[in-house]
Amino acid sequence: MMLRLFLSLILAVSFFGSFSAKAETELWGDYSGVTLRVKLIGGGQYEGLYNEVIPWWEENTGGKIEIVTQKNHFELDKEIKKDIASGNLDFCVASNHTSFASQYGDIYTDLNNIMPASVLADYTPLILEHSTVNGRLVQMPRHSDVSNLYYQKSLYEDADNKANFKAKYGYDLTPPETWDQVKDQAIFFSNPPDFYGTQYVGKEEAIAGRFYELVIANGGALFDEDYRPIFNSPAGVEALQWFIDLYNAKAVPDGVLNYLWDDTGLGFASGTIAMNLDWAGWAGFFNDPENSKVAGDIGLVRAPMGSGGLRTGWSGSHSFSMTESCPDKEAAASFLWALTSNKAQMIEARGGLSPTRPAIWDAIIAEKKAEGDEFMLMVFETFKMSLAEDAFTPPLIPEWIEFTNALYPELQAAILGDKSPEDALATASKKATEIMEDAGYF
Amino acid sequence: MRKFLNGPWVLLMPTLIILTCVVLLPLLLSLWTSFTPFKLTKPDTLYRFVGFRNYERLIGDLDFWIAFGRTVLFLAIALNLELVFGLGIALLINKITYGQRTLRTLMMFPMMFSPILVGFQWKYIFNDNIGLMNNFLREFGVIQPIPWLVDGILANVSIMAAEIWSSTSVFAILLLAGLLGIPKDPIEAAKVDGCNSWQVFKNITLPFLMPFVFIAMTIRSLDVARAYDIVQMMTGGGPAKRTELLWTLISRTGYVDAKMGMANAMSYISIFLSIAFTFFFFYKLVEARQRLSYE
Repeated sequence: MMLRLFLSLILAVSFFGSFSAKAETELWGDYSGVTLRVKLIGGGQYEGLYNEVIPWWEENTGGKIEIVTQKNHFELDKEIKKDIASGNLDFCVASNHTSFASQYGDIYTDLNNIMPASVLADYTPLILEHSTVNGRLVQMPRHSDVSNLYYQKSLYEDADNKANFKAKYGYDLTPPETWDQVKDQAIFFSNPPDFYGTQYVGKEEAIAGRFYELVIANGGALFDEDYRPIFNSPAGVEALQWFIDLYNAKAVPDGVLNYLWDDTGLGFASGTIAMNLDWAGWAGFFNDPENSKVAGDIGLVRAPMGSGGLRTGWSGSHSFSMTESCPDKEAAASFLWALTSNKAQMIEARGGLSPTRPAIWDAIIAEKKAEGDEFMLMVFETFKMSLAEDAFTPPLIPEWIEFTNALYPELQAAILGDKSPEDALATASKKATEIMEDAGYF
Repeated sequence: MRKFLNGPWVLLMPTLIILTCVVLLPLLLSLWTSFTPFKLTKPDTLYRFVGFRNYERLIGDLDFWIAFGRTVLFLAIALNLELVFGLGIALLINKITYGQRTLRTLMMFPMMFSPILVGFQWKYIFNDNIGLMNNFLREFGVIQPIPWLVDGILANVSIMAAEIWSSTSVFAILLLAGLLGIPKDPIEAAKVDGCNSWQVFKNITLPFLMPFVFIAMTIRSLDVARAYDIVQMMTGGGPAKRTELLWTLISRTGYVDAKMGMANAMSYISIFLSIAFTFFFFYKLVEARQRLSYE
């Protein structure tokens, strides 16, 4: 029945500038008279896509897009929760994220029943798996995020730095391979209040996620198979101690516990931070002399390893979903495809974002090689490897955000010295147990 | 029936219907949800009655009571300081004879900013790295940056500074209205009798002004929850809950954790706080007016 909508489905080869991407299954149709109401994530790094793709889709289908909401993801999350409570789901497409999707129950439609297999075949299978909740594919992935370590190259090339570091720590000053080395080097480079070795996002889901990935890298875990908290462990204490040590050594700014993603990105661009763990979306900004004092002096290495021999790799994907209540699912499917198509992903990849289609990885790397853009080539090759080998998602459960809200104040309390790491993790573990019990896991 | 239709009830009906729809029903619904495990993302939980479970949990929840106590302290300090500064500004403006209107308009500027914007401004001012305050202090030799929004006491002081900056003019305007309404005769008579300025202020101006003080206090104590946006922007209640107030806690519980049943239980407990403040100020208002008419 639903296949009727895909009569217009054609195979085509898309061309983008100087390269050609792999054949893509396109999903056009005639949707004259259809208006799709959409709720989208807003912000500088996200809106460029809409400016290009929405007119493109409208022109090719005759349909119209009405943007009902455009706000940051945390505000959008609150709005959608209110919509669910009020039963007012009068929109068709919404921005989503793999870490958030499981909270929304069954408001989003199973795209396995709507998107042709040939369309889904164009995306990385593992990312589609992460976009699946309870066996239902509820998201079309837009771009993925994982973090790697940016650093100021000149600091590592400086002969005095090399000699002094070797004399103090007994090993060569090279871009760090482990988080212990990050700590040593951050303390070594720091000269507060003018210059800091590193920084971290210090509140809400952000610090909880950073703690999570370090626990994993140290060989630990947040939960056992029954979702009983097990992060109050040697691996957990070691992870938390890393944050505490940097804070106490003043190797991070004093206000770091109020920092979120923009603060760390802008901090590194200000030239006052030696190393910065961040996503690919900042790469272009960091290397733009108009925005950044470190432009032309940036190195990048894969996220370092914890004591368990694993690299940190907290990852997720921004995505788009279609509501179950959407009256024009054919048109919405076409729009979802357009938003995550080769053309769309190439637009975002040029800004540094990591695509979710293997063909676009090849295409963007080929384009950067042809342009001789060594910096962006390094960025894409590093992030491609990191997403392939190091990335892991947080537990894809509806309680993730609530759990992080219980965890992060305790992490902050330990970092500020209000509690010992053991006490803080014990309290967080108790609260997490309550959350999981209430949710019926055990 | 005819008697009813011709009676005063008919005239009151529109008001009663509107009040029932706009005030009573939402209040009853939120009260009901406080007896359920209602989650925004699971609408079916609205119909599961769990009795006093949310309230029982809150009674044993130390974090909630610490936030409750901090909110009481915040209200007490902020409102009193706003009163003192507002009174001072009103007295000064009342004294001048030239440019009073311009000053009155200027004084109202902070009220024109949305609380979210106020929060952003003051977050920037108190930023430890690039903030105006630390850069200003640096000019005077304070090299080590002060972590304004991290230290437990300083963070609360910083938030209070933003709140006071934003709302002192409310007090100033209300008290200035009171000052303009004070009859001149008793003041002139007191001066003729040899009272100095302090004695005139203490024995004549202030008693006349007290009803206005308590009206301003009542309005502000009900309105002060607008400061939620300021706190949310500046610290979000952190770090480590050091600036957690009932408003940030309730908002996070209700909208981020989606536990609206629990958030409403918190709200109903905190309503007692509002009622207590309002009752106290009304009691003092009546007392002040009685004293004034007696004198």
